[in-house]
Amino acid sequence: MALIDARKVGKVYANRNGEPTAALEDFTLEVEANEFVGIVGPSGCGKTTFLMLVAGLETLTSGELFLEDQPVEGPDPRHAIVFQEFLLFPWRTVRQNVEFGPEVRGVSREKRRQIVDGYISLVGLEGFEDRYPHELSGGMRQKAAIARALANEPRVLLMDEPFASLDALTRETLQQELLRIWQQTEATVLFVTHSISEAVFLSDRVVVMGPRPGKIRGVARIGLPRPRKREILTSPEFMGYERHIRELVWDESQRN
Amino acid sequence: MNLKGISGRLSAKRYASPAVLIVAWELVGRLGLVDPFFLPAPTRILGSMWSLVLNGELFRHMSVSLYRSLGGYFLALVLGLGFGVLICWSRRAEDILDPVFELLRPVSTLGLVPLVIIWFGIGNGSKIAIVLKACFFPILLNTVAGIKGVNLKLIHAARSLGASEYQIWTKVIFPAALPVIFTGMRISTAISMMSIVGVEMLAADSGLGFMIVDAQRLFDTTRMFVGIITLSVLGFCMDYAARMLQKRFVGWHADSLAAGKI
Repeated sequence: MALIDARKVGKVYANRNGEPTAALEDFTLEVEANEFVGIVGPSGCGKTTFLMLVAGLETLTSGELFLEDQPVEGPDPRHAIVFQEFLLFPWRTVRQNVEFGPEVRGVSREKRRQIVDGYISLVGLEGFEDRYPHELSGGMRQKAAIARALANEPRVLLMDEPFASLDALTRETLQQELLRIWQQTEATVLFVTHSISEAVFLSDRVVVMGPRPGKIRGVARIGLPRPRKREILTSPEFMGYERHIRELVWDESQRN
Repeated sequence: MNLKGISGRLSAKRYASPAVLIVAWELVGRLGLVDPFFLPAPTRILGSMWSLVLNGELFRHMSVSLYRSLGGYFLALVLGLGFGVLICWSRRAEDILDPVFELLRPVSTLGLVPLVIIWFGIGNGSKIAIVLKACFFPILLNTVAGIKGVNLKLIHAARSLGASEYQIWTKVIFPAALPVIFTGMRISTAISMMSIVGVEMLAADSGLGFMIVDAQRLFDTTRMFVGIITLSVLGFCMDYAARMLQKRFVGWHADSLAAGKI
């Protein structure tokens, strides 16, 4: 049984003039439990749209979408999102941000404290619990946002270009951190990015999308051994996967 | 908003120039350079203030004015917040209420005084109504602007974490809008003092505004100064209190902006 099962999912928006615009077309994908799936594609290809559909924050206009064999009908704490802009609540401290999910779901105070402490230490933010988001660096903010998402103990972690606004070195650190966190939790990750090397480094499978209307152009299984260290970035295998995906993106783009 | 600028740098340097001004004012009075009828010396004003404190008159006028301005202010706060939330929450409510409020907003507050006196009488009712009219719109407009300005993605984030619609209002929209709402509340504290003095000068038999006009009729300049100074001190205290509340409740906002670092 696939954890996420998308069958010919389509999303049509009405644009400013009321004309229909397809953001996603015939998107079919099965994601297994504990799998790390990267989605790459050019800007506006519909990759974020797919994430929002899985999150239940948008409704699909055609096809079917299942999470654990149940159709997705609106937001659900079983999937948590990490956004590019972090979107922490600026009036809450790190602890209070991480606590938000369990708090709104009515988890008791003691239980909450336990959960929150666990995830704060998992992402490595001990000692920063009482800081406000504006007192943290970009990388630490995103760690706090990841901890906030994990505190709901979701089945699926949806990540929408989470490292795109970070500097290159912070980004590399967080990629490693994410892999470590992913291996320590049981989460399944859907990771949207426009960086091919990021997708290859992190994923079990990489879904390649073409320009509008968003269709899957190909899926590459990344057979690199885990745990993956930074050194593999320069290995011939890694570069081979990168080249393959780049060709897939360009080839398909030119055909349109 | 610069929260630290005014209250933070309490050095002796800041007191130097006002002190020089007051000493000069005192000398002008003592040396008889200006007729004390026009400009009584500060010590004389303090003396008069002290006797008005002792006979209870100052406190009586002050408490009447405070009662009216705070009463009107809190009514405006409740109504401004309530209607603000309603307008943002329901499209239909906005369609009905917004044109009405836009029609009433430009109506001159002090121009309404004679009418309000006929409606509510010469006592506290008319005063509270005037303060309410004056304070309502800044609070309403800032509440609406604050709520409508909340980042939609923040709401998405909360919803994806499992927040109900009610929790989204109480735990996301309201705290996120609070800095802007506070701006409206602070504007209205100043307006409440201004409008109460205005209406008390036009039609009242008590209150600090009345005290000043009454002193004018009796050509008692010193007493006028007592009234003016008391009003200024009250205004300062109210703004100080508002600023402290703001710092307490939306300090995160100022700290995350440039003002926190200047």
